Amino acid sequence: MKLKFFATYREITRCNEEDIPVPHDVWELLTSLGERYGAAIRVKLFTPDGGKISDDAIILVNGRNILHLKGKDTPLDEADAVSIFPMVAGG
Amino acid sequence: MNAWVGTILRVDLAAKTVVKEPLNIKDAHDYVGARGLGTKYFCDEVDPKVEPLSAGNKLIYMTGPLTGTAATSGGRFEVVAKSPLTGTIGAANSGGYFGPELKYAGYDGIIFENASESPVYLYIKDDVVELRDASALWGKSVFETTDLLKEECGSSFKISCIGVPAENGCLFSGVLNDKHRAAGRGGLGAVMGSKKLKAVAVRGTGAVTVARPEKFLDALTNARKTLKAHPVGGSGLAALGTQVLVNIINESGALPTRNWRDGAYFPEANETGGESLAEKYLVKNKGCFACSIDCARVTRVPDGPFKSSGEGPEYEAGWAYGADCGVSDLAAICKANFLCNEHGIDPITMGATIACAMELYEMGAIPESDIGFPLRFGDPHAIVKLTEAVGRFEGFGKILALGSYRLAEKYGHPELSMSVKKQEMPAYDGRAIQGMALEYATSNRGACHVRGYLTSPEILGVPIKVDPFVTEGKAGLLKLFQDLTALIDSTGICLFTTFGLGLQEIAAQYREAVGTDETDDEILLKGERVWNLEKHFNIAAGVEKDTLPPRLLREKLPGGPAAGKVAELYVMLDEYYKVRGWDSDGVPTPEKNVELGIDA
Repeated sequence: MKLKFFATYREITRCNEEDIPVPHDVWELLTSLGERYGAAIRVKLFTPDGGKISDDAIILVNGRNILHLKGKDTPLDEADAVSIFPMVAGG
Repeated sequence: MNAWVGTILRVDLAAKTVVKEPLNIKDAHDYVGARGLGTKYFCDEVDPKVEPLSAGNKLIYMTGPLTGTAATSGGRFEVVAKSPLTGTIGAANSGGYFGPELKYAGYDGIIFENASESPVYLYIKDDVVELRDASALWGKSVFETTDLLKEECGSSFKISCIGVPAENGCLFSGVLNDKHRAAGRGGLGAVMGSKKLKAVAVRGTGAVTVARPEKFLDALTNARKTLKAHPVGGSGLAALGTQVLVNIINESGALPTRNWRDGAYFPEANETGGESLAEKYLVKNKGCFACSIDCARVTRVPDGPFKSSGEGPEYEAGWAYGADCGVSDLAAICKANFLCNEHGIDPITMGATIACAMELYEMGAIPESDIGFPLRFGDPHAIVKLTEAVGRFEGFGKILALGSYRLAEKYGHPELSMSVKKQEMPAYDGRAIQGMALEYATSNRGACHVRGYLTSPEILGVPIKVDPFVTEGKAGLLKLFQDLTALIDSTGICLFTTFGLGLQEIAAQYREAVGTDETDDEILLKGERVWNLEKHFNIAAGVEKDTLPPRLLREKLPGGPAAGKVAELYVMLDEYYKVRGWDSDGVPTPEKNVELGIDA
């Protein structure tokens, strides 16, 4: 499965894009990222109590925001691409 | 005087007279300022059928009540005229330092009437206001003009001016100030050029006072804290600039590619995004007057064929020269954007017009002999060469200077102009973001992203997240965003403050500055009044109906998350007219006019 980091997530992970083994769902993916990259990424991905995905994290699965899929329970498979952004804006 | 300085300059360019008249304070109350008040003056004084490049059109500079105060990003002013590109009301605002300086000189706005026979500029130093000969400036770029006027008038003067394309009637030439800040869209520079008005140079040593200073300080302190704490308004925009949008819009399958012909996913987008810009070419951030966001980029391409330096590109410009032209060379995109500032042209329309020409060339509709070289998608040298051609107003550049609609019409394919009311759509595909489709179709100045900006809730989740594929509810949401952006533009603060602030914080600053006890809803109603006034002007001017290019309505997106979708405009448009209180043809009803106090 393809995993892509953008904006400030690139500074934390030092990675733009990588292929990873398929997690069961989005929550499992984000939890594994928290273990791998530590507190620097956990504070951006999760609420302070660690129980929810932060409102400031934008997670897309194949271009669709998980808020319009099944949220943290959105299932993942080999052909999927997950993109992770901080809250950004412009125009 | 309650955030205003109380005087409007009325300049007759034919008679060479300058009259100082009192600000119409009732209209300032009803239409807020800047965009709203400038439009009110304009609509009261100008025949909607006026030919935009004739002497009968007027050109208005108007500040807002918060311009020049300590309000969050309170440095903006509006330029208003009938647009020669669209035939609609033309209103474009700009940041930098010019607007506050005008108020410090003692003037809330300037109304330019008629046309001069020879080039002139307006000199303002506090009470001294005079038209001066600008023959030596005619034919000079924005940068040259700014430098020469600072040399002549003094380095502390703030300069607003036009470049060579505007002198020659380029329909997307802007009015630039502080070199890099632009009232960019709609070709208002061409109106200024048609009046032989090259520039305004202003220096003011006065001040702006607010009605309730202590409460104003409380309101702005609260607003600044709220903005600073927001992940976007606080540090996000400063870190990576507006170009950071490239990747999220592309990953969402909404980045229009190759004149919107090849869908809305550009595989090389990452090479052109804010991350790459910061890594390769960013020198430092820069902010406008009283701004804590600092979104502007000072950038430099240090070597290679596109060696250059300047500011930007911003997201829309980066897209127009990038994905829309199929170009992935960020150095070329930077240089083309720098040229737009130097020559005073709108990079959105410029890039989109080149993209349209590329499609027309590739399908054989434009002969190579007209252009002078093969014009294929993806050619980084072409975007620079053609921007230079428009900047010097020579060769094929003279045709491109009319914008994509007139270009595509000339070569027999007007349907390939990706424009609404002849103004090019910016960088969000309405097939993948349905609310943006409705926004483009209903914008009062032709296609525009800052007349509402539904991308914010549909993609970015600010202030709430809604599904970009859904049409239900978008009409009501768009009306709210349109009214709010009309209000914000009219106050004189920057729209980007809404990446952190809401109506509550903005209305509080306005209330204490002007000394009113109106509620938030009563203040928001003024934004709706502005929107409806603009609509009335457009109807009287005979502007075409609200629609989209056939490509968006009929050609399905070929891939990405929105594969198979078209813009479902007509599902949303009827509901939009209803929530606006307009009839089924999009005309405000008598009841709505009474509610808003508009004489129609």
